[in-house]
Amino acid sequence: MEEPLLEIRGLAKRFAKRYRREPAPWVIQDLTFSVSEGEFLTIIGPSGAGKTTLLNIIAQIDVASGGEVRFQSQCAPIDDPKALQPGLACRIGYVTQDDHLLPWRTTLQNVLFPLTVQGRLNAETRTRAEMLIRTAGLGGFENHYPHELSGGMRKRAALIRTLVYNPPVILMDEPFGALDAQTRTQLQEDLLRLWNLGKKTIIFVTHDIAEAIALGDRTLVLSRQPSRIAGKHAITIPRPRDVRGIMTHPEFGALYQRIRAQLQ
Amino acid sequence: MTLREAAIDLDTPAPVRSRQHAVTLGRVALAALLLLAWKLSAEMAGPLYVADPIKVVQRIVADTLSGSLLRDTYVTLRLSAIGFALGCGLGIALPFLLRRLPRLTAAVEPYIMASVGIPKYALVPLFILWFGIDDAPKLWLVGLLVFYVVFIAVFAGIRSVDRGLIDMARVAGAAEAAIAREVIWNSLLPFFFAALKIALPRAVSAAIIGEFLVGNEGLGYLIEHSRQNFDTVGVFAGIVVATALVLAINALLVTVDRRVNAWRPTDRHMQV
Amino acid sequence: MTTLGGRSTIGRSDLWHRIARSLRACGDQILVLVVLVAIWQVLSMTLGSYWVGSPWGVATRFVAGIGDGTLLHQASYTVIEAAAGFVLGALPAVALPFALRRLPIATAILDPFMVGGYGAPKLALAPLFILWFGIGIESKIVLVSVTVFFIVYFSAQAGICALDVALVRMAQVMGATERHVARHIVFPGAVPYVFAGLRLAMPYAIGGAIIAELISANRGLGYLIQFGAMNFDTTGIFVALVATTCIVFIGNWSVNAVERRLLRWRPVSDVTLQAGT
Repeated sequence: MEEPLLEIRGLAKRFAKRYRREPAPWVIQDLTFSVSEGEFLTIIGPSGAGKTTLLNIIAQIDVASGGEVRFQSQCAPIDDPKALQPGLACRIGYVTQDDHLLPWRTTLQNVLFPLTVQGRLNAETRTRAEMLIRTAGLGGFENHYPHELSGGMRKRAALIRTLVYNPPVILMDEPFGALDAQTRTQLQEDLLRLWNLGKKTIIFVTHDIAEAIALGDRTLVLSRQPSRIAGKHAITIPRPRDVRGIMTHPEFGALYQRIRAQLQ
Repeated sequence: MTLREAAIDLDTPAPVRSRQHAVTLGRVALAALLLLAWKLSAEMAGPLYVADPIKVVQRIVADTLSGSLLRDTYVTLRLSAIGFALGCGLGIALPFLLRRLPRLTAAVEPYIMASVGIPKYALVPLFILWFGIDDAPKLWLVGLLVFYVVFIAVFAGIRSVDRGLIDMARVAGAAEAAIAREVIWNSLLPFFFAALKIALPRAVSAAIIGEFLVGNEGLGYLIEHSRQNFDTVGVFAGIVVATALVLAINALLVTVDRRVNAWRPTDRHMQV
Repeated sequence: MTTLGGRSTIGRSDLWHRIARSLRACGDQILVLVVLVAIWQVLSMTLGSYWVGSPWGVATRFVAGIGDGTLLHQASYTVIEAAAGFVLGALPAVALPFALRRLPIATAILDPFMVGGYGAPKLALAPLFILWFGIGIESKIVLVSVTVFFIVYFSAQAGICALDVALVRMAQVMGATERHVARHIVFPGAVPYVFAGLRLAMPYAIGGAIIAELISANRGLGYLIQFGAMNFDTTGIFVALVATTCIVFIGNWSVNAVERRLLRWRPVSDVTLQAGT
């Protein structure tokens, strides 16, 4: 119970340069943090700080050059490309920057996809998927193909595609980055609403400080390359949060300043 | 690094020297295997069905030395060249002509496109009826095939010329002929080269197949005549020479293509 | 037509212009058709129907041929040769890149042989196949399948290579096995490319069948053409040619129809979409 759900210890990563003499620079070095169960953790960093790389490593999609990733007190294999288990047996969900919806599947079929490959598709899970679609505001678009959906709708679909199979941890890589401000705010609200339904553990990466404060229980600040934790900030704004008006909250200003200072 | 980049990074094997050696070795092995299979099937199936590879080589050498193979090859190539020139010339000229008559073009275009669906080889008996049994029907066949390839490419190429460039040239005072020469021709060169790469080998193939159907000379005649005489060695020899010829032309075109485009860095080449 | 806050004020007359223009284009095309048929009629009257047949003669003979079934009967042989060869060539051409997907070394080894096979004139093998399989439909089927194989192979290969590995990773994160990936990601992604290859190969299938029949056959539309030529029956030749062209159109239309049905999910900017027949 006191044991954190996910622990990162001394993580290090550098990319192998194949044809050059000088060794590649370290992208991540000596990164250490932990995530508790049910926590909504936001991670902020400047561009190029290796945020996506960090998530790729946690999700077992990329190898690390050193350090440890412990999930539920077990060490995950992160140094051997052949030993990688993407998604760690469906215990880690990953919502990426590009929605990566399968173009040949309708919205409903896309949402059902993880259930299909996990062999968990039945009447009950199907109903749950349909309910999620409606909750996400995609009701009526079940039989549309991705190219017929708007950018915001595709993001929603990608989001509930991960939610539908209930992984205990969900990684999110700037999922709302490419959207306009209105849609982004709407989706942030939707995300919090969906998170409340199941109290999952979420690691949410962003470069937007306001977004990090609005969504998270805690925020970590990544430094520039080689990235390490530059600061940890508990977000003391009580839930439920008013995403649209978060900036007007009295504690927002100080938090914002502190975080921004660390980002320099 | 995005998800896609990380995935590609982990999935793509490094181009190590040893892999390239393995590939080359594999190719040599496969070629040897195929030759062996040829030899074995010659022994098993009998000389009527599969000619012995050694005999085929001997026949090719003998025919080359006696000059008959060179004669046949020359005949076929001459046929291809003349037919190619005719079809190519018309295939280039006609689109330029049609460019000046847009209403006629719009009226005629569907019929031209529909006529692409007619298998040109099917017209050969008709050509034989009309033009006799000499080179004429074969020239028509080759010419038509080349014409369609070149015409469609040049037509599409002309259509895709940047209107802005034409307008600019007009404003600068260029006459229609000068515009055609300078702007349009250069813009459609990539399309034209892509068409050439298809049309040249096709011209040779067409000549050979035309010779299946009519005539008494050429590689195609050699193949078909051998078949009718159950001279399997001759059939194989002819096919080997014909295939080598077309592949050589292909290879030549690829080399020329690379050379020609080497000093045109901005020339986009259409992949057909 | 851009509209500023509502309907365009110049839209209506522009619409009429467009209608008038397309009506005129239609009229032009019909005029061209009439002119062509008229020229044909004049030629047949001046040169004699021995040389060019006559439009009316060809039309009546065509209809008669369909009515009493003989034309359809002969056409069926050509269609069977083309269709059977098409399937026999296309199936391994799709299966092979798929099977070798995880063995890039094998694909690399095969590549020059495939390129050679593609560049070599398959139709030049027609006499060889006739020697081996006789003048029946078998030799034609083999010829068509070899021709179709090499064309579709490269398209299928392109489809496999166009695989978006990001989608594969996503699926793996969600628990997909190799088989799931092959079935749900590799295969559907390759289908548009395969269809581009099928569209490309269709005319070669029919053309190959006809050519082989021209060389040596006793059935089929190519045989009908040769038969007409040998009997100096130009009308018969034209009837068979018209029938051949019809089959080409039906073949193209079928492939396009199946493709449209299966690939409704394609975005408009897809690279495998081609204009034309």
